Amino acid sequence: MTVGSQVKTCYATLKSIEAGLDLLYAASMEQDLKAAIEEASQLIKETRHDIHQQVIHIDKQEPQYKS
Amino acid sequence: MPEWISIIIRSIILITVLFFFVKWLGAKQLSQLNIFETISGIVLGGIAAFHTVDPYNSFYYALLAMFVWFIAAFTIEKLSLKSKRMRDFTDGKSTVFIQNGKIMEENLKKEGYSTDDLLEKLRNNNQFLVSDVEFAVLEPTGELNVLPKKENQPITLKDLNITPAPAKEPQTVIADGNILLEPLANASLNPTWLEAELEKQNVTIDNVFLGQVDHQGQLFLDLYDDHITVPEPAQSALLLASMKKCQADLELFALATDNPASKEVYDRNQKRMQEAVNRMEPYLKS
Repeated sequence: MTVGSQVKTCYATLKSIEAGLDLLYAASMEQDLKAAIEEASQLIKETRHDIHQQVIHIDKQEPQYKS
Repeated sequence: MPEWISIIIRSIILITVLFFFVKWLGAKQLSQLNIFETISGIVLGGIAAFHTVDPYNSFYYALLAMFVWFIAAFTIEKLSLKSKRMRDFTDGKSTVFIQNGKIMEENLKKEGYSTDDLLEKLRNNNQFLVSDVEFAVLEPTGELNVLPKKENQPITLKDLNITPAPAKEPQTVIADGNILLEPLANASLNPTWLEAELEKQNVTIDNVFLGQVDHQGQLFLDLYDDHITVPEPAQSALLLASMKKCQADLELFALATDNPASKEVYDRNQKRMQEAVNRMEPYLKS
């Protein structure tokens, strides 16, 4: 696996985590839990955004591995 | 009227009367009754028993006597609810046996407790050393309650500085193969969700003996057919695991890359992920 694909896998995992948190948010009935999920979800969103930029950056550097 | 019929009728009436009197006197356990309540209970039963088997006694006397005893017990109970002094008189006061780790010998003598009695009571509370006890009090019911010294108290999450996730009570949503709508609504879920969830676990509703939903909305099932194993819900554990994995991956990238700009990006996000993991861990850990 190249670094590029590894970062892409990580990016996909981040997306899956975000969706998982959303699911939990919808199912939970506690205010505390909801607040925690909101905070975590915000952090994950920022991370996902950064990693997305990184994916684009790596794609530019290694066009031969572009998927 | 033959005597046996009279006895049957008396019994039925007295059982009913006794039942209601006892109910009105309040639901307390036998060990929680004070002396007067115990005695009036016995007397009420005695009057009932006496008049049931003796057909020559006047039945109205039985009712009258029972009524008087009932009123007396009832009044005293209500009065002692109102006034503290009355309560001290009827229920008795609690006596302190150990204070600040020291045995109060006078109080022991007053209650007629020997050292052996005290030690036995302490052992009942799992305290074998008197010096481990900060405070012990004998309740009017004859029960000894013990507060161990701080260092001997069981450890709590508060002591460990851990913030636990507040756990709400689970709701029982399926019993004997039937969906219970009210608990389901309490968990803010609906039957459609339940059907989808059952489909996911590949079981039919008829086969479910008991189904409970925890505060995270995870469904736990027990089936009639014990040969089928239902997977325990692991959604939250999985979520936490993938969050941790992602954090570790980012940390790895930060170490692996030579580009300072990328390193900075990975490092920043790794810290963010760690923060998110810390925030969610108490809730997702099962």
